[in-house]
Amino acid sequence: MPNAILKGLAAAVGLLALSGTAALAEWPEKPVTFVVPYSPGGGFDSYVRAVAPEMEKALGVEVVIENIPGAGGQKGAATVYRADPDGYTIGIWNVPGLTVPQLLGRSSGYDLTDVTWIGNLATSKYALAVKSGSGFDSLDDLCGLGQPFKHSDTGPASTSSVTARIAMATIDCPILNVTGYKGSTDTIIALMRGEVDATIKPIASLLKYQDDLDILMTFETERSLENVPTSSELGYDNFANFTLRRIIGGPPGIPADIQAKLSEALMTAANSAAVQEWSTSSNRPLDPVGADEASAIMTQMMDFYSEYKDVLAEGS
Amino acid sequence: MGFDQLFDAIALVLGSGSVIYVLLGVALGLCFGVIPGLGGTTALALLVPVTFTMEPLDAMYLAGGVMGATSFGGSLTAILLNTPGTAPNAATTFDGYPLAQQGKAGMAIGASATASAMGGLIGLFTLLLVIPVARELVLAFGPAEFLLLTILGLVAIAVASRGKLLRGLIAGGLGLMLAFVGSDTVSGELRFTLDTDYLWDGIPLVPTLTGMFALSQMIELGLKGGSVAGTGSAVSGRISGIGSGVIAVFRHWTVLLRGSAIGTIIGAIPGLGGTVASFIAYTSTVQASRDPESFGKGNIVGVIAPESANNAKDGGSLVPTVAFGIPGSAETALFLGILVLHGIDPGPTILLQNQQEVYGLIVALTLSAVGASLIGLLFARWLVLITFVNVHFLVPVVVAVSLTGVYVLDGKPGDVVLAMVMGIIGYLMMRFDYPRLTLVIALVLGETAERSFHQTRMISDNDMLGFMAARPQSLILIALIVLTLLLPSLRRLPIFRRSTT
Repeated sequence: MPNAILKGLAAAVGLLALSGTAALAEWPEKPVTFVVPYSPGGGFDSYVRAVAPEMEKALGVEVVIENIPGAGGQKGAATVYRADPDGYTIGIWNVPGLTVPQLLGRSSGYDLTDVTWIGNLATSKYALAVKSGSGFDSLDDLCGLGQPFKHSDTGPASTSSVTARIAMATIDCPILNVTGYKGSTDTIIALMRGEVDATIKPIASLLKYQDDLDILMTFETERSLENVPTSSELGYDNFANFTLRRIIGGPPGIPADIQAKLSEALMTAANSAAVQEWSTSSNRPLDPVGADEASAIMTQMMDFYSEYKDVLAEGS
Repeated sequence: MGFDQLFDAIALVLGSGSVIYVLLGVALGLCFGVIPGLGGTTALALLVPVTFTMEPLDAMYLAGGVMGATSFGGSLTAILLNTPGTAPNAATTFDGYPLAQQGKAGMAIGASATASAMGGLIGLFTLLLVIPVARELVLAFGPAEFLLLTILGLVAIAVASRGKLLRGLIAGGLGLMLAFVGSDTVSGELRFTLDTDYLWDGIPLVPTLTGMFALSQMIELGLKGGSVAGTGSAVSGRISGIGSGVIAVFRHWTVLLRGSAIGTIIGAIPGLGGTVASFIAYTSTVQASRDPESFGKGNIVGVIAPESANNAKDGGSLVPTVAFGIPGSAETALFLGILVLHGIDPGPTILLQNQQEVYGLIVALTLSAVGASLIGLLFARWLVLITFVNVHFLVPVVVAVSLTGVYVLDGKPGDVVLAMVMGIIGYLMMRFDYPRLTLVIALVLGETAERSFHQTRMISDNDMLGFMAARPQSLILIALIVLTLLLPSLRRLPIFRRSTT
């Protein structure tokens, strides 16, 4: 009997020792998989491909990019969510693109409230644009048309559709969301063709077409465009909350030390000269923010959007 | 006009060693084209990460080489095995395969190679001509015109099913129903998804097409046994007619021009692309022919029309790209993605700021269209031997390779299951004489039709007809639709009778 206990103890001690060495071993020891929930060549994909080589340098192991497209990004999100929380699988998340389906109970296989957030990579701010020479000078002109103003969009679940619908609902401005355009540039071309009255799109995308468009207002608190008033200046206090975030996170329960290492590597990569240069020349703005702040942002975004569940549930 | 820049770009690619990238692209494109299930989109998607470390211009050469070569590669299996290598080659099977069965595969390949090269050149030439007005062209075509074009495509289905109209309509209706699976473009509601998130994005084209054509054809061959070109007594060993195929293209130059024009126009419309272009090119050729009964039985013109269209589409798909930096096809979308990776921001100034890359791509496409066809002609004599191989060796290889191809694009096991289901449905349709391509075309058109219907309804304040009546470009398309529907009846009028006999 005592022998058995001793054996058991010895085994336990042995196990402890083993797990001790496992924890002590330097993370990372093997390649990190970076999941992009969309096909290669898109916006999220290009961001990840730009930072991955620099993250490799910072971490000292390979960073393997895996594209898992499907179900509007939910398939890739679910894959990351279900992975082992060992820090070897992370992904890029579309917020509020993935927030809204979750709030409406249409999400599958992930829960944003317990994802281990590693850092925010980029934040796109929105602006309201009309066709040059359209005669619309302000949001009031659009709201006072006597009929809902037409807004071009990709799909009802897209971030700019969510932004347009919630923002206009809060100020009781009627809007008709014309959906189904193939990409955000197509929605801007639709505006140039005169099919719709206005569009709310990321500032960087609109700026490319500024010769044909008038940007009436940016959705922010401080001016990023010198001659365009911000929503806060014009008294729309809530509007600055609407952003598109490209945020990096892993499955729930990644140990804090590994989360910190990943976050540090991500920040080093995002602030590296190579990535900064890519960002400027390709007009893909960065907004690197570490793990703690990213987690706080995510909580706040969830609260913000859940206030507008009714508007979201209405469809278009 | 764009031609000066073109010559500079040609000098640049020929003067540097970079032409090797074009050749590499052509070789890859041919391989991906030949294999059912794999296509240009898959090839480019797999290449995106590889191009990351390359010079932007070299990446363009590689992408152009691939884009220009896949559709010719795909015509080879369409002709030899009744299995389109890529989606746009589906219409080529109608007459290409009967030719192969008659032992005239060489002639069909000769025609396909020449039509592909010429179609590609005509499409790119048109692109260079329209560059100055590309912007206006893109702005002139809105949802109303897209809707009318899809209706034109659906009308072509009815025309294509001469003699078996009801079966054609049943297959087309089934295709439309499949097109409505997935999330609704307006409300985002999920429809007919059978509680699986696999169907949220709808029924994907490539697995459907691979199942419908490649797998069903393999079932058919496997059950029949023997080899494609008969049991190999009289015809075997005699591989000729490549030259006569080449000549046929020039003899039927009106078919070539019409096919190329249709390919260029449809290629410029996002969401439709080569599959619809080659189908409409085929049906319009049948319609214009004085001897429509000869199609489907090995008429060489039935190879020329779709093959010229599906190569001309590349030029067309670049029109929205040069105008606004937006893609006209899945391939051009990946091409733009490659630019972003290299720190280039495609936009309305793409032609001014990234002239080198755009013209590099155009040159690569040109070289590729011609190069792929030359390679094809050189190897045609050996490729034809496939039709003499015992199908019991052929079937397992094609099934394994095409199912792998289906899996590779998105890595979804569901795609493989879908392809197998479609293979069985396709075989049954074959058995009971229902047109399979009709179903596939309706599936492609249905998605765009539904989307542009809703858009037109909303932007016209629910007055669609009034809206279209005020747009000349819409009226032209309406006239074409009416003409397509009436033509079969008009042909019976005495005035046309004389010429048809």
